[in-house]
Amino acid sequence: MTFNEILDMLRGIIYTTGVFHFSFKLVIMWAIGSFFIYLAIVKNYEPLLLLPIGFGIFIVNFPLVPLMGWTHGHGELLRIFYHYGLEWEVIPCVIFLGLGAMTDFGPLIANPKTLLIGAGAQLGVFITFSGTVLAGFTLKEAASVGIIGGADGPTTVYLTQHLAPQLLGPNALAAYSYMAMVPLIQPGIMRLLTTKEERRIRMRQLRPVSKQEKILFPLVTSAIIALLVPSVIPLMGMFMLGNLMKESGVVGRLTETAQGSLMNIVTIFLGISVGATMHADKFLSWKPLLIFGLGLVDFAVCTAGGILTVKAMNLFLKEKINPLIGSAGVSAVPMAARVSQVEGMREDKTNFLLMHAMGPNLAGVIGSAAAAGMFIAMFD
Amino acid sequence: MRRLIIALIITAICIPSLILAEENFLEAPIIPGAKVVKKTETRLELKINKSHDEVVAFYKSALKGLKDVRYREWKKATYIEDDSNRPWHSITISKPEGDEGTTVVILKDNWTWIMGTLILRFIGVFVVLLVLFVAMSLSGAVISRLVKRFQVKEEASKG
Repeated sequence: MTFNEILDMLRGIIYTTGVFHFSFKLVIMWAIGSFFIYLAIVKNYEPLLLLPIGFGIFIVNFPLVPLMGWTHGHGELLRIFYHYGLEWEVIPCVIFLGLGAMTDFGPLIANPKTLLIGAGAQLGVFITFSGTVLAGFTLKEAASVGIIGGADGPTTVYLTQHLAPQLLGPNALAAYSYMAMVPLIQPGIMRLLTTKEERRIRMRQLRPVSKQEKILFPLVTSAIIALLVPSVIPLMGMFMLGNLMKESGVVGRLTETAQGSLMNIVTIFLGISVGATMHADKFLSWKPLLIFGLGLVDFAVCTAGGILTVKAMNLFLKEKINPLIGSAGVSAVPMAARVSQVEGMREDKTNFLLMHAMGPNLAGVIGSAAAAGMFIAMFD
Repeated sequence: MRRLIIALIITAICIPSLILAEENFLEAPIIPGAKVVKKTETRLELKINKSHDEVVAFYKSALKGLKDVRYREWKKATYIEDDSNRPWHSITISKPEGDEGTTVVILKDNWTWIMGTLILRFIGVFVVLLVLFVAMSLSGAVISRLVKRFQVKEEASKG
């Protein structure tokens, strides 16, 4: 064997490593991935999602890694997770099943007026849509960016995958990041749009809700959603099934699995698959930056929309609603409701708004799903 | 000679625009042989002596490969809509009943449509939740009454 042959062999081995395919763009993506891992571990911002998303971003941005491509006609590991989980729109629906199994709709059933707050809080979704079109996005992309303001991760993932899968990574990342930052974003807007007197409004204690009502709720809601916005019934149907399982009390094992192990398993697949879509070649452009900017505006307008809806309702109501619970209409369950509670207690330490805020909070989930359904119907 | 050269230059400049004007309106293709009925900056109405199916076939082939173009079959027309950022918004191809020829209307992309549809859909979200509110209020009232009646009966039977 000659020296040149040995050199060729060495060169061949070295070229199968990633070292010679290195680019500066990849380093930027490692930094972005690491940043989200930092937010999850150090700041505790939505760690269940931001940690696997951050790691997904980090790991797919190494050269030659067989993760998101196709080898011999077969999808590679993360491609398979992505294909069956997200392209088939399975994961968001299964997550909604788990969420339904965790949710107590009592506060919403006790005070159904708060459903309207959930609708008003979708204002930003529609305003951002027009802003996004102005920024040069297509109508489908604009719809998928607009839904970020609904602050509902699975709905954002579901709609984006349906209308603009190329934006899945940045949209999901923006949605989950802003959901985690609710305590930073909302208080300023809440104080700006309310007076001291309004923030001190005390609300009557919610009536107790019977088991029968709780069992009937998922059935009634499923029927209405299926009739009026059928396009989101995969999402809402699973949500309501999870809730029916919980409230019926007869399938404890299934409920436990849906809200525990199953939810945890799909969360891992969701996080890593979303992160894996963010390869440097696709992610490093002006669009993700714009999406983050527009998402923030969206979130702020949705918060304002919820508060203004309460103020408008108060013009007609004898028993006034504390407008601080309006901000909870942006979903982000239960973080947004907790922010209402904290802001309420800032004015009056004996005013407990948490259970009142849970109503619009849950209404926000239904409202954002309805908004997503409106968009799907617009394009399908 | 100079006049001839100037005339040739003007013709050379004008011909492509004339051809383009006949080939498309706001980048939407114009079916060859169509007569312009009415033309404004935002709307072009054409009439052609071809069947509806022939016109639709022309547009399907002309728009082939374009992303985000959607076809809707209505009772009286075929509606082609652009969901991306093209200058045209829609092409409506009538379904004539007799031999009067097919009418094609091309509309410019406009904010009225976008804002209109957004406002309607936002109201739509309110309607969905309002219906749910009414249904929940009614079912809540009925169930509460039934539960109370049941409790009173139970207490009476115990007492």
